[in-house]
This record gives sequence, structure tokens and C-alpha cells, in this order.
Amino acid sequence: MLLYAIVSVPLCAGLVAAVVPWARWVGWLTTVGNGTVLCLGIVLAARTTNRPAIGALDGALRADALSSFMVVVIGTIALLAAWQGIRYLGVEIEREQSGRRHAALYTLLVQVFVTCMLTAVLASNLGAMWVAVEATTIATTFLVGHRRSDRALEASWKYIIICSVGIALAFLGTVLVYFAALHPLGHGTAFVGAQSHGAGTLNWTSLMAASRHLDPGVMRLAMALLVLGYGTKVGLAPMHSWLPDAHSQAPAPVSALMSGVLLTVAFYALLRFKAIADGALGAGYSRTLLVIVGLGSLLVAASLLITQRDYKRMLAYHSIEHMGLIALGAAAGSSLAIAAVLLHILGHGLAKAVLFLASGEILIVEGTTEIEKVPALLSRRPVLGGIFGFGLVALLGLPPFSLFVSELNMVRAEVAVGLAWAAGVSLVCMAVIFAVVMAHGRHLLLGGAPGPEASIVTPRLVSIPLVSGLVACAAFGVLAWPLQPLLNAAAHVVVP
Amino acid sequence: MTATMTTTGLGASIVMSVVQLVMIVLGGPIVLGVMAKVRARAEGRIGAPVHQPLRDLRKLLTKEPIHAEHSSAVLAIAPFVLVGTAAVAIAVSPLVTTAPVLAHSADLFVVVFLLLMGSVALALAGLDAGTAFGGMGSSRAMTIGALAEPALLVAILALSVQAGTSNLPKIVAATLAHPSWAAGPERLLAFVAFLIVVLAETGRIPVDNPSTHLELTMVHEAMVLEYAGPELAIVTLGEAMRLGFLLSLAASLFLPWGIATSTNPLNLLIAVVALSAKVVVIAVGVALLEVRTAKLRLFRVPELLTGGFVLAVLSVVTGLVTR
Amino acid sequence: MSGPGYVDALDLAAGAVLVCGVITLWRRDLRATVSALSLQGIALGVVAAVLAAHEHDVGLGVIAGLVLVAKGIVIPALLRRLVGHGPGSREGAASINVSASLVVAAALIVVAFLASGKLTALLPDTATHLTPIGLATVLLGFFLLVTRRKAVSQIVGLLLIDNGVALVAFLLTAGVPLIVELGASLDILLVVVVLRVLASTMHRTLGPFDLDQLRELHD
Repeated sequence: MLLYAIVSVPLCAGLVAAVVPWARWVGWLTTVGNGTVLCLGIVLAARTTNRPAIGALDGALRADALSSFMVVVIGTIALLAAWQGIRYLGVEIEREQSGRRHAALYTLLVQVFVTCMLTAVLASNLGAMWVAVEATTIATTFLVGHRRSDRALEASWKYIIICSVGIALAFLGTVLVYFAALHPLGHGTAFVGAQSHGAGTLNWTSLMAASRHLDPGVMRLAMALLVLGYGTKVGLAPMHSWLPDAHSQAPAPVSALMSGVLLTVAFYALLRFKAIADGALGAGYSRTLLVIVGLGSLLVAASLLITQRDYKRMLAYHSIEHMGLIALGAAAGSSLAIAAVLLHILGHGLAKAVLFLASGEILIVEGTTEIEKVPALLSRRPVLGGIFGFGLVALLGLPPFSLFVSELNMVRAEVAVGLAWAAGVSLVCMAVIFAVVMAHGRHLLLGGAPGPEASIVTPRLVSIPLVSGLVACAAFGVLAWPLQPLLNAAAHVVVP
Repeated sequence: MTATMTTTGLGASIVMSVVQLVMIVLGGPIVLGVMAKVRARAEGRIGAPVHQPLRDLRKLLTKEPIHAEHSSAVLAIAPFVLVGTAAVAIAVSPLVTTAPVLAHSADLFVVVFLLLMGSVALALAGLDAGTAFGGMGSSRAMTIGALAEPALLVAILALSVQAGTSNLPKIVAATLAHPSWAAGPERLLAFVAFLIVVLAETGRIPVDNPSTHLELTMVHEAMVLEYAGPELAIVTLGEAMRLGFLLSLAASLFLPWGIATSTNPLNLLIAVVALSAKVVVIAVGVALLEVRTAKLRLFRVPELLTGGFVLAVLSVVTGLVTR
Repeated sequence: MSGPGYVDALDLAAGAVLVCGVITLWRRDLRATVSALSLQGIALGVVAAVLAAHEHDVGLGVIAGLVLVAKGIVIPALLRRLVGHGPGSREGAASINVSASLVVAAALIVVAFLASGKLTALLPDTATHLTPIGLATVLLGFFLLVTRRKAVSQIVGLLLIDNGVALVAFLLTAGVPLIVELGASLDILLVVVVLRVLASTMHRTLGPFDLDQLRELHD
């Protein structure tokens, strides 16, 4: 029952939004809907921590600790995005940049997007998970191109082409895993010809149980394809080229959702497959793959951040860096590492969403995304500037925000496993990025006001959700409870 | 079903090779005539009679030979090299019989190399006279040849992979033993690739127009521009022999039924008739293809030939995969 | 259907899939490319149908019909309307010329053959022996996507990759579970619809364009 509610509430809100021309109450409806998802997710998390998983729809939906954690993450970011969406759409309609029908389509697509992400994390069948992830690509393409400018169209074309290629490779990997499951080793004598198939299944729990019997050669090929395929959706190098374009051209709430959650939902898929592959191959193979793409992403992000002139693109490259960090943490593979990775997913999601939403507000009031043209934000718009500044501080991994805790624990786990050299490289990259972002942020935020301009007050509609997001991020950094049991339970799902 | 080579069979195989040679020497120009006739009929004309090329050869033989002023022995020798290599290739290939003379040397690579020697001799002759047309024709012909040779090798390689040997008579014998091979996908692909190569090697449309003398479009004609009289007759005969040989090879490798597997004279007669029929059918098909297509621009020809090469590679891979 | 008829039909259909893939690289006319894609979709449906008849699997037969209609008829029809006539309907000078790309195609086919050794070793079967063809189609689609500049060519490359993956799925596992296959087909259809709408929007905004001209977003 709980699972049905989680999946259907955002969809219903979206369908309502589709049939009526957009008004503020529709925006509030979707916000409340997403908030409900968050509350239901928290209930679900409480019910699945250290207890057996919950199933629904005849086993098609399944929630264990890891899935419920992801539901909480999705719910949080969706709530923030929908809340801010009210402001974004209101301004768009006010400025006649889009009609009410256009706004209704936008809301429907966003809600479909959220529903697909929820389905992906709650699916028990890996094939169904794939279908849901592919559906998110389709739903978000039009969202990326929402503004219909040349750049937005170019970004959405690149996005759908590259992500579709990645998803196709991921499907090939999934097929290979299915093939390995159809012909488990050690049962060969029981087979007669090709007609009798084994327990062929794409159900994750069955695959985990049978993982020792999967053919290593096929699983190696499958895991490489899956890292390439789902890694494209995560934005890991070298498949990252769509990310800066798509995340910078999309409207701010969509960027927040994509950067905050969609990347990590794709990574969740990778984690599920990694658990199976580790059972079949031992931890070494997937560790090597993830280290390669993780370090590659860090290096790419560090080198390309230096020349950024656009604050939204800067944030997008920062996402690549964090996905690289997450990949490195997952490469370490121990229980501590995965727990830290999950905390990082939550913290990064919150901080990145707040920053993207704040940058959306900056774009609304300043009209440009170039860093040089937006100086001295703190003196002109103190609340907004303050939010942006604290968001940057959070994202760079400074205490008291939770990213500090998660990054520290990831480095600890990596050193414990023998990846100290990789941790060292990642720290160097993080230092470079720290310096670069500080430089950009300094220009953006500090400096005297260019003229005797009264400081403009940011509307509370904008400031309340963003500030509460930052406070939550800080709270999780300082207080271990109530997340720690959930994180440990979720980590134990993939690291038995 | 394979014919055994014994010393008493040596005389028989020599006879059969001679029969092959005579067939192709006389039949090559007739194939040219058939193709011209088909083309004429398709264009609504009556056209010259089918044996006209033989009459042209006879006419040329009565004329006076002329050599260009600065040419060397290469110009004089090349026509004989052309005809000689074609004759040797014809003699050792399994066209009418699965046991021609020197059958165990009739390897794929040997036959292709013989054809290549003929082409190279002609190209050198084109350069020898020192004229611009000759050099241009030679360079174009060598470009086309450089792309066509790999395609030819790989196409017949597909057949040899399937038969397990690169010896041509043995390939034909293997195909006779497994009739179901003839309709397989790798055979079809290899046949298409082989046909593209035949068009390239013999200078037919869409690769080269055999009846043009415009500088822009000449390839083969430019190389033989300096020949006159008997030498032109020998060169034309050599080209006709190559055309006949390649078409007969296509017929025997891909559709070998009717070929003589023993030394019985009746079988030989049947084989001769069968081969003629098959070659005429293929020639008519090629002529109709020529009527329907236009000549390709020179820099588009590599596309066609590389496509043929890829089809040949596909045929090899398909063969390896479906075994 | 069993025995030699099954093997021949499967070989022929799979061979047709690969040849159509090569033809998309060979021809420059976009309408011919789309026709080759539609032939490939039909051949793919035939492969699935032959496998369904051999395994007496009704679900797979349904999927075969679905694939035939979707990939052989519907998707090429959507693309053909996008191609139109006039100067935009031919691929211009690609970044790699046709002859070189055909040679690369031959090399990719050999690579695919070498890479699928492990897969056929797990279950040496008539159907699994043909997996190199599926992998080769994926690589060819990848190559087409990367080297061509017209929007339709890129879509064709993407669809080649999808066809290759579908072929591997049919050959190795006689199709994935029905629900997943339906979802996958629906997704691909929607992707093509989305791409078409996007391309039409771009045509309206930017005029007939080469994707090379879209270079505003870069670092």
C-alpha cells in the first residue's frame, strides 16, 4: 500500500496539472504531493531499516533499506524543486515567456520524471529498472529544451543522443547478465540442449543469491558495458560531455532535479549491478573500473572548471566532480564506504539543488548567467547571496555541512582498502576545485555595490525552501541520528 | 567424386586444359560480342553480329605494326605477357574439369597473381610510350586494381575457408560434394563481391566505359592508345580472354554443376556446353546491369570497390560464424 | 521448425541485418539509408520469428511481430518524413570519407567477432554463434553516430545500436521477459518520436542545418 502511494501520488499531481491551465494552486498541489512522497519515504525507511524488505504488486515493487533511502532523497529534492517551481513558472508567465499550457506541460513532465525515478528505485526487476531510467531520459529531454532557444535545443539534442547510446549499452549489459543467469555454472549436466533454460531471471534478489554461479567471462563484459552505459547517465568521464550543456540550459528546478537526483538514481542502478558482479567476480574488477572512471571524472572536472565563465556550467562541472568522488567511494566497496557514499548522495543532492535553485533566482533577477556580469551579490541581495555562498561552502566540503563528513569517511574507507593513491589524487583535485570555485565565488559574492542601490529583498517563497535545505544539510553533518541506522542498513544491502 | 591424378591421367588433363584454352580464346571475343548485342538490343538497335569481335581481330592482324618513337621493349613485350599469363591462368583453373594440368598448383593466390602480372604489364606499357594519356590511364588503372585485388582475394578466401583449402580445383570439388553450400549467405555475399571485382578488372560500366575515348573518362583505353595493328589485336584478345576467364571462374566456383569430374569425352562435352551456357547467362546479366547504370565518377569508384571489399570481409566473417 | 531449415533461415536473416548495416554506411543518400534501416528492422523481426518457431515460444512470436511493425515500418516512416527532398536529403562530405569508413567498418566487424568469443563459449549453439553480428551492428551504429553530421544520420546510428542490442538479446536469450521487451520497444519508439519533434523544431528555428553548425555550447 505504501509503495503504491509513493509511486502514484506524484503521477496524480502531474495528471491534474496537465488538464488545467497552470495557476499557483497547481504549483502548491505538486509541492504538497512531493512533500507527501518525502513523508511516506521516511515512514518506509523506518519500516525497512534492519527489517526484511517490503514487496508490492506481486513482487514487482520492492523496498529494502537502500531503496527507501533513495526514495527519501528523491522526495526531498522533488519537494524543493516543486516549491521553487512555483516561483519560476509564475515569473515565466508574468513575463510572457511561456503560456499557461506550456507551464502545464512542464509540470506534467516534471511529475512524470519524478514518478519514473521512484519506479526505478523501487523496481525489483532489473529490466523494469532499466525501462524506468530510459523513461526519465525521454521525460527530461523536453524539459531541457523548455526554453526553445538555440542553445537549449542544441543541449537537448546532445543530451538525448548521448544518453540514449549509454542506455542502449546498459541494456546490452543487462541482457548479458540475464544470459549468464540463464546458464549458471555447475548446473551444466542438468541441461539438455538449448531448450531447457535455467532459472533465468532479472530479479535482483534471485540474481544476488545465484551470483556465485554466474560465468565470470560474461559478467566481466557485462559489467564493463554497464559501467559505460549507466555511467553515461551518471555523467562520469569520458561520457560526460552532455552534462554541462544539459544542466546549464535547463530551467533551474529541472537542473536541480537532474543534478541532485537523476545522476544518483543512475548510480543506484550501478550499485545494484556492482553487488551482483562482486558476487561473481570478486571485488577487484568493478573496483578497477570504478576507480578509472572516478579519477577520470575528477581530473576532467578539475581541469575544465578553471576556465568557466558561466555559473550554471560551473555547478554542472562540479556535479561531475562529485560523481567522480562517489564512484571512487563505491570502488572502495566496504560497508563504511558505501554508507559514506549514500550520505554523500543525500548531502550533495541537497546542496546542489539549493545552489541550482538559487542560481535560477539569480538568473530571474539578473538576467544573465555569466559570472562577470553578476558582481557583489552579497551587498545587493543579501539573502540570496548568503544562500549561494553557504551553498558553495557546503558543496566544497567544509564543516559543518554533511559533505565534510561523507568525504572524510570515503577517504578513510579508500585508504583502508588500499586505494590511498586514488584518495590522494582525489584530494589534489578537490583542492584545485576548491581554489577555483572560491575565486569564482569571490567575484560573484563579494565586493562593494557598484552604486547606491537599495538591497532588494528576496521573496520568502524562494528563501524559505532554500534556507531549510541548507539547514538540513548542516544538520545531517552534525547529528548522526536519525540517519546512521538507515545508512548502515542500506550499505549492508549491497555489501553483505 | 574427386578425380584422381595419376600419370595416365596427365595426358587427359593436358587435353582438357587445351580444350579450356581454346574455348576461352574463341569464346572470349564472342562473350564481348554477346554483351554488345544485348546492349544494342536494349537500346533499340539491331547491333553488330555476335562474332564481330573475331572479325575485328582478323582485320587488325593484317595491318602494319607501329611503335612509338621513344618506346622500348616493354611496349613490344607487354601484349604477349598479357596473353601469356591469361593463358596459363586459364590452363590451370578448374573451368571445364576438376583436374586440369598442374592442378595441385592451381592455388588461389597463383591465379590472382597471374592476372595481376598481366595488368601490371599493360600499365607499364601505357607508361612506356611517354605520352600523357598513357600515364594517366596507367595510374587510374593501378588505383582501381589496388582496391580490386584485395576484394578478389578475400572473396575467394571466403570460399576457401568454407572448403578448407585454397586450391581451386579442390574448392570446386568440395562445392560439388555439398550442394547446400551454394545458397548460403556467405556464398551470396562472396558472389556479389566477386562480381564487383570482375567489373573493375575488365573495365566495364560502372567502373570504366570500354567504348569511350574522352580524356576525362578513359581508363583502359588510355593505356592501349599507342597500340596498332597486330599488337592491338593481341591486347584486345588478352582482354577478352581475361573477361571470359573471370566469368568462367565465377560460374565454376559458385555454380559448378555440369563440370567434368572424369575423363569421359561425353562428360567433357556436357561440361563445355554447361560452361558456355552459364557464362552467357552471366554475361547477359552483366550487360543488362551496364545498360541500367551510368559510369561512376572516378573518385566515386573507390567507394564501390571498398564496398565490395567490405562485402567480401562480411562473407568471410559470416562463414566463420556460421560453421 | 528445426534442423537445416532453421539454421539456414537464421543465418540468412542475421546476415541480412549485417548487410543492411553496411549499406547505411555505404550510401550517402539519406532516403536510401532509411530504407536500409527499415529492411534491417524487417530482418530482425524475421530472426525473432524463426527463433520463436524453433522454441515454440508464443511470447517471442508476439515480440517478433511487434519488432517487425515498429522497426520495419513505423520508425522508418517517421524518419522519412523528416528527410524530405532537396539539398538537405544528401549527406555532405562526412568527416571520414565513404571508402575509409567502409574499411573501418570491416575492421569493426572483425573486432566484434573477436570480442564475442567468451559469449559463444558459454553456450555453443547455432543461435549464439551469430552474436558477433549483433555486436558488429552496435559498433557500426556507434561509428555512424560519431562520424556523420546530418541529424537523420545520427538518429539512424542510434537505431542501429538499438537493433544490434535487440539482435544480441534475441540470439543469446531468446528475448528478455515479455514485459521488459515491451517496455524497451515502447521506449525506443518514444525516443524516435522525441528526436523527430526535436529535429523538426530545430529545422524551424535554424533552417536546414548540419549538426556541425551547433557549436555554441563548448569549452
